[in-house]
Amino acid sequence: MRSGSLWLRYALFQAVVFIAFGAILFRLWNLQIVSSAQYRLSADRNRFRLVPIDAPRGIIYDRDGRLLVRNVPSFSVSIVPGGLPQDPEERQRVLSRVGELLGMPVNDSETATTGEETILFLSGAHRPSITEILEKRASGPYTPVRIASNVDRQAAFILEEEHLDLPGVLVEADPLRHYTEGALMAHILGYMGRISQEELADYQARGYLPDDLVGVAGVERSEEEALRGTRGQKHIEVDAFERPVRVIASQEPVPGHNLFLTVDVELQRAVENALREGMRQAGSKVGVAIVMDPRTGEILAMVSLPSFDNNLFSGGISYEDFAALNEDPRHPLVNHAISGQYPPGSTFKIVTASAALESNVINRNTHIVCEGTYYVPNRFAPDDPTLAQPFRCWKESGHGSINVVTALAQSCNIFFGKVAGGFQDFPGLGVERLAAYAAMFGFGEPTGIGLPGEAAGLLPSDQWKRQHYGESWYTGDTYNAAIGQGFVLATPLQMLNAMAAIANGGHLYRPQIIYRAEDAQGDVVHMLQPELIRTLDISPQNMAIVREGLRQAAINGTAYGFWGFPIEVAGKTGTAEYYAVDEQGNLILDKKGRLPTHAWFAGFAPYNNPEIALVVFLEGGGEGSQRAVPVAVEIMRYYFGLPSPAPEPTPTATAVPTPEEMMTP
Amino acid sequence: MRLGVWRHFDIPLFLIILVLVLVGCLMVYSAYEASRPAVERSLWENVAFRQAFFAGIGLCFYLLMAAIDYRLLVRFWRWGYLAALGLLLLTRAAGSVSFGAQSWLRFEFFNVQASELCKVIMILTLARVLSGDHYDLNGALPLALSIALLVPPLILIYLQPDFGTALILGAIWAGMVVLAGVRWPHLLILGMIGAALAPLIWFRLEPYMQQRILHFFFPDSDPTGASYNVNQALISIGSGGWWGKGLFHGTQSQLQFLRVRHTDFIFSVLAEETGFVGASFLVILFILLILRLMRVARLAPDHDGRLIASGVAVMIFTQTFINIGMNANILPVTGLPLPLVSYGGSALVTLLLALGIVQSVAMRHKPPEEPLLPLGR
Repeated sequence: MRSGSLWLRYALFQAVVFIAFGAILFRLWNLQIVSSAQYRLSADRNRFRLVPIDAPRGIIYDRDGRLLVRNVPSFSVSIVPGGLPQDPEERQRVLSRVGELLGMPVNDSETATTGEETILFLSGAHRPSITEILEKRASGPYTPVRIASNVDRQAAFILEEEHLDLPGVLVEADPLRHYTEGALMAHILGYMGRISQEELADYQARGYLPDDLVGVAGVERSEEEALRGTRGQKHIEVDAFERPVRVIASQEPVPGHNLFLTVDVELQRAVENALREGMRQAGSKVGVAIVMDPRTGEILAMVSLPSFDNNLFSGGISYEDFAALNEDPRHPLVNHAISGQYPPGSTFKIVTASAALESNVINRNTHIVCEGTYYVPNRFAPDDPTLAQPFRCWKESGHGSINVVTALAQSCNIFFGKVAGGFQDFPGLGVERLAAYAAMFGFGEPTGIGLPGEAAGLLPSDQWKRQHYGESWYTGDTYNAAIGQGFVLATPLQMLNAMAAIANGGHLYRPQIIYRAEDAQGDVVHMLQPELIRTLDISPQNMAIVREGLRQAAINGTAYGFWGFPIEVAGKTGTAEYYAVDEQGNLILDKKGRLPTHAWFAGFAPYNNPEIALVVFLEGGGEGSQRAVPVAVEIMRYYFGLPSPAPEPTPTATAVPTPEEMMTP
Repeated sequence: MRLGVWRHFDIPLFLIILVLVLVGCLMVYSAYEASRPAVERSLWENVAFRQAFFAGIGLCFYLLMAAIDYRLLVRFWRWGYLAALGLLLLTRAAGSVSFGAQSWLRFEFFNVQASELCKVIMILTLARVLSGDHYDLNGALPLALSIALLVPPLILIYLQPDFGTALILGAIWAGMVVLAGVRWPHLLILGMIGAALAPLIWFRLEPYMQQRILHFFFPDSDPTGASYNVNQALISIGSGGWWGKGLFHGTQSQLQFLRVRHTDFIFSVLAEETGFVGASFLVILFILLILRLMRVARLAPDHDGRLIASGVAVMIFTQTFINIGMNANILPVTGLPLPLVSYGGSALVTLLLALGIVQSVAMRHKPPEEPLLPLGR
């Protein structure tokens, strides 16, 4: 009986065994055969990562191959949220260690510890904690989130050494831009920075990642597409701690193009020195000097002072540095050569002269009397002298009866005022034709140099004045416009480009800054070709007359700094009055109650076969002939390899003729 | 010992055990050593070597136990039982704390897990008490005695805390009680008392254990991600497919997504790398092992031997089922290793020792024509 009962019990146990293992086999069948594809996908998601490989950014050289920008390594620390330990305590330990090494707070509640690391948050002095960054910027459990850039080399090495103890923490070496010339080339080269929130969507559409650095100024921005290259990517296998194990496939990045600028960095240096010295003597706070090859439109040098060290921006500018630059009233971050808009003053007379000649308002022999001061009659009461508007020449005694060549050389205001605005029976050019010719010379529109932030300048017209001032255009306005005053505004580059067109016989070229571009293999992918904006509709004869006037200015005219210069220079000085207010909002006037003036000079050389054209501008610098010309002389001297003059008594502010004697608009 | 008993050495039983042990060494190697960075380290630090070393020791014990007549062992059950209890107490007093459990006794070379040894001795003890050869099974005495003997080690092991082993100990007892032939009415009463005590046991459970059980039945109640291991085990098993990813080529195991893979989750490693084919092969091996152990029970010359074989069969069955069931997420997580396969020196040695005793029973079986039980006919 017992045996039979036992048999049943063993059968029962056997049945339990079969049922249990049967259930397991059924479960295995379901997992491994029925749902296998789904689990295979999960397994692949666990281990595969698509990692972008940044393309090396293009190197920038000057026209002779001198290095201007190179890439140097900089360390950054990122965290892969999904790679951090699951255990909260372990996770906190890892983050604490990272925070300790980087000098960053781990949690929001912690007060920021002192440290010198630069995190890119320009918005304010608040230093975000690691957990805050992770929460705000994490886009997926396996996408690395950068928590610190430009990390101290020592901290980076320690983190790298401890990486087995710090799962989920990545140390990466990123290339950083190092600008060999710093401030000298800062306005041309620009700098790099984070993508702003406003532009983020736009950049992302073009394949950028939120953490990418992009050119935000200068050539770095304008040539962003060429410099950035094409990002590569690699398909990697990682282990449970996000450590790369092997590369499955990789698509190598295509390095960006290397650029050769048209700029000659040594000329640039000489120009900067000359300009700085000129500004010092003139007490000018902002100055611009640009040198161009008038035959092609190549920019050989372009200096805007004050400048800034663009290396400050590499790897993230500190808040203090940025605030200092941004709040400086001289706007060192602004390239005044292309963004500054100023009344061009007498340099603008090249336009008035060309327009009047080509419109047959005058010819070479038309003589007009300069009486020192001319009273422009009121349009509605031409016979009432009390309503007439006085229009003065810088030479109070007047130039007498002069033709256009002498008028340019002596920079006579009344000649050009009368030619443009008319007088007595002389009909004059009129503002519409003047504006049309000015537009032909490129005023009122950006030159298209391609650098970011180029201004258009301003060409006023009757209609413009009605819109902006609610007033009709007066003859006096035409008089002012003829000598580059009143409402006319131009950038130094526009002035230079117009002068270059006079120099080369009437071809207005687009100013260019990129000479050559090569790909990583050294194949030339872009070579500068002169780009004609338009040919000026001015006859060679008339052009020759204008040029003759400019030549005379350098022989015995207002550009007296060039008198006796060994190279034949031609040019036009300018002294442009401007309105400015001080901190109290009062109009700034000199001791004699006159408006302050910008000093201008634009010219070219050699006269018969011009190789260079240049413009010098000193904001509030005073007299063009007195202040701007010496800078131009220095530049020309350097360019043509002339020795410096024997040290003679340096013309200082007291040694030169006083403004009363030398007021040379 | 007569040389003649070796003629009855159960070769299939031994071969099944051997294959399982070899599979274990191989999987331990794959799980822990195959993709470990090639840093110079002593052989002793190689986990697979250690497993093989313990397998060697275990097989020596196996043969030793086979040589010794099990009846001799059973005779010393009291001393064995006291020794086991003493070891457990010693562990409790001086055992080193590792993984939160005081279950390791540190020796010169390796650690002896007292609870592992306790399982074997408990089988011998219960076999002796419940066989009916010494106490009348119709009375309540054997049952009461078995409970009295079970409870002290059970409590000590549970307090370590080693819930898994305590569970196995309980299962061994329950299985042996049933297979011994304790009368059904007694079992029924016992079952009712157990059911009444169940809520009490639940509230005495450690919180982590309650959590695991709760999470098993209500997977969504655990949003903190503590189910990581189970998820990774499922991905490992599922992604294995028919034939697996190849030995040493499991992405889940080699890249360490699967945790505790050389012990608790070694089945997932095998399932990932050798697929459904390999996993079923292992399951079938265990079925064959248990059937073979039951065959030994059927042919045993006395009830002591029958119950020893039965107890070992119950132990291996429950442990295997609970471990694989945990891997495949049809049972809650309990930290139980897979018998003969998972890494672990003392578990392997004591298990082989137990199987050696069963071999001893097998070698001393009665002639097939007059079995103790009319099993299978």
